[in-house]
Amino acid sequence: MTWRLPIILWQLLFFVGPLLFMVAISFYLVKNYRMTEAFEFVNWQKMLSRNYFWDSYWYTLFIASLSALFAMLIAFPAAYALAFRASESTRRFAIFLLIIPFFSSYLVRTFSWYVILAESGVVNAALGYLGLGPFKMLNTHFGTLVGYLTLTLPLAVILQTVSMANIDRTLVEAARNLGCTPFATVWRVVVPLASTGLIVAMLFCFILSFGDFVAPFYLGGSQEPTLPILILDTTKSGQQWPRAAVVAVMMMVTLFAVAFAAIAFAYRKRATR
Amino acid sequence: MANPLASFTNVHKRFGDFVAVENMNLEIERGEFLAIMGSSGCGKTTTLRMLAGLDAPTSGDIHIGGVRMNDVKPHERDTPMVWQSLALFPFLSARENVEFGMKMRGVDAPTRRRRATEWLDRMEIGEFAERDISTLSGGQRQRVALARSLVMEPEMLLLDEPLSALDANLVIRMQAVLTQLQRELGITFVYVTHSQSEAFAMADRVVIMSQGRIDQIGTPKDIYRAPANRFVAEFVGRNNILSGVVDRHDAGAVQVRTASGVFSVPPVSADAGAELAFAVSADLVTLSVSEPDAPNRVRCTLLSEEFIGSVVTVFCESADGQEFKLQLQERELNQHDLKSGSHVWLSWRTEDAHVLDGS
Repeated sequence: MTWRLPIILWQLLFFVGPLLFMVAISFYLVKNYRMTEAFEFVNWQKMLSRNYFWDSYWYTLFIASLSALFAMLIAFPAAYALAFRASESTRRFAIFLLIIPFFSSYLVRTFSWYVILAESGVVNAALGYLGLGPFKMLNTHFGTLVGYLTLTLPLAVILQTVSMANIDRTLVEAARNLGCTPFATVWRVVVPLASTGLIVAMLFCFILSFGDFVAPFYLGGSQEPTLPILILDTTKSGQQWPRAAVVAVMMMVTLFAVAFAAIAFAYRKRATR
Repeated sequence: MANPLASFTNVHKRFGDFVAVENMNLEIERGEFLAIMGSSGCGKTTTLRMLAGLDAPTSGDIHIGGVRMNDVKPHERDTPMVWQSLALFPFLSARENVEFGMKMRGVDAPTRRRRATEWLDRMEIGEFAERDISTLSGGQRQRVALARSLVMEPEMLLLDEPLSALDANLVIRMQAVLTQLQRELGITFVYVTHSQSEAFAMADRVVIMSQGRIDQIGTPKDIYRAPANRFVAEFVGRNNILSGVVDRHDAGAVQVRTASGVFSVPPVSADAGAELAFAVSADLVTLSVSEPDAPNRVRCTLLSEEFIGSVVTVFCESADGQEFKLQLQERELNQHDLKSGSHVWLSWRTEDAHVLDGS
């Protein structure tokens, strides 16, 4: 108990406390641009009856899910190669390289995409030589996705690699021995064996994308505002912190639900019949 | 051997600098129970893996059913394997494990189900068909693994130390199951093991390997009574190995001078002065308290006894420090009042001394 005390205190002070405070704020009122203590449902009624909130909600859910899916699909071949083809030392070095992006600010990495994706950027210049383009890539859904993936891909590769590196090689060979083509082996044996790790990796990608402000704001151009952008806009317009808190609570509820469902699914027991 | 099921021709297998299998020539007969035996790292498992296509030979050819298999992928072969770890898929039920191979080969669902049921029943685990692998006992898992491989109706079944994880009683039972299955099905079993008792109890022929090479191929009896070389004699059974130089040729025997004395061995073409080693199996050595009237005898000091059931292995030492072992029935030993340090005489018949090649 003694040893657990610091982490419990930390969590209560900096996670549970602020969370409860945020829920409380969502019932406050704003009078003359000043937040005043109250317990009114007016913020909830206002926010949840607005189309722009639900548009933003579904869009954020959709694009964060799409980003998590892309992260999984793009990361998988690399992670598979690292787990099954690479030597132990190569794998270690690759994981080290994958950690390096986290050394620098995500914001800085996002801005570097401007140089690459801008209408006069590297990609369009290259395509221009081929007589193609220019394509608008900044301030699009594509831009948002690129930003999300910048954040999540290294993590996805690391988590997938670790979950596949622990697979018993004999099971993979047994699959080949029983007539699986290399592709069928991956789908029928490797994916089921690594499923817990793969689902947790995807969950991480979803959580990071869902709550991210930088990518949709700078690369997506907040054309279709995601929930984090909606929070910013709400606080700016007339100091509506309580309504922003409503959005934030909705985000937390969604993340809890998704995380709970994903972990329950990842650790599901086979029904013993 | 006419028309063998599988053959190795001058097969080498290297992993980097390590030579796993060196110049292997082996023919595997249709319908035989072949055991490949040796200590770890001798190349026995690599040999099996090359039959399954999981390792490719560095050079040389492997044929199965007359077809050159060197470049045939594992999933294109009909060489199911039973693994030491069993390698059952933990995310599938017993039945799904058994159906897996058929599913991959495009067998339709009703046929899969029928054949899986047949095999699960035959292996006496029909009632556990829908159970999770993790809920089955070691013996039940073993049977699932066998059913999973045999349901494919292969011509050849590969087994890689499948019994090494089981406790002793279960090993004996599974040995009976395996030999009976092999006889009933009439298919070839290639069985890799480090256990002499498993190999000798089940196999028609045994291949002894060391350091990537085949030392001897023969029936268990051949190998037990006539080990080809010193390695086999030391590896198999409990042999007393003596080496010395040829002293002289007598009528019907050769006298060999060793540090423990002069002993006669059956006739061999060796010149006087040539070095020669021979083995005497521990169960062919006789123990007596007084000096026996035998051509081959040596006075020893008793060191220790080792009981395995009713059979005792007695360890002795001659005056020059050579260790001797002999096996006899416990009640035989009890006739003499012996303890550690007692002086005894060991003797054996000349024809029971087996001269080793390359000694």
